[in-house]
Amino acid sequence: MAGDYVLDGFAVPDELDKLHALLTRAGEEHPDVSASDLMLFETAVTEVANNVIEHGVPTGGVHWTFTLDVDPGELQAVLRENGQAFTGDLHGAMPDDPLSESGRGLPLADTVLDELEYVRDGSDNVWRMVRRRTGGE
Amino acid sequence: MDIVSTGRGRMAVLSASGRLNMVAAPQLKKAVDEAVAGGHPRIVVDLSAVDFIDSSGLGALIGGLKSARQASGDLRISGAGEQVRTVLGLTNLDRILKPYADIEEASHGW
Repeated sequence: MAGDYVLDGFAVPDELDKLHALLTRAGEEHPDVSASDLMLFETAVTEVANNVIEHGVPTGGVHWTFTLDVDPGELQAVLRENGQAFTGDLHGAMPDDPLSESGRGLPLADTVLDELEYVRDGSDNVWRMVRRRTGGE
Repeated sequence: MDIVSTGRGRMAVLSASGRLNMVAAPQLKKAVDEAVAGGHPRIVVDLSAVDFIDSSGLGALIGGLKSARQASGDLRISGAGEQVRTVLGLTNLDRILKPYADIEEASHGW
């Protein structure tokens, strides 16, 4: 395991900047990770985090811990949070209506990740995100 | 996110910068609605200084597109960078939000 990054806080919009900063730092400290892989992974992580912020109950009171590992073959993140259980569709499709203003977040994350898993662990939700590194630009 | 609005006849250019995420999306939608209400239903959202967009930002662009069209206008985007273009493509939204190279190209014919 090449590196560990941890962010601890509450699932509120203002915390998203810290998430972006963490991923930026990981990229700077691992220049061998392609910009494309990092950009797509950041996109997916943001969507999963958005979903927790938007739907986590109690709103503003959900605590989360985000862990990122940069491994030789993959980028792996785990988001553990204590909101209510997720009951949505983890692997759903994009909205049928092209003019829909919502519903693209998790489908977008699912598209760019090689693995997107969710498990309920006691009173926690655990989201695991993996993108295998392509070695591109 | 900062959004600067510049009116030109029936057109308005909204220049956004930073991350167009769930924090900034309501700001963008509000700016579009204000431009439309101010008599500028032809909107160019210039994204050349936006380095990241998420599905909330996409939702704001779609909402703005609908607001503009309801006022007999339209919404076009310009200057999208790699991440924005990639996300537009992955969500198939590049079919209804064609990314123009710059403001001049986006406003061609207006």
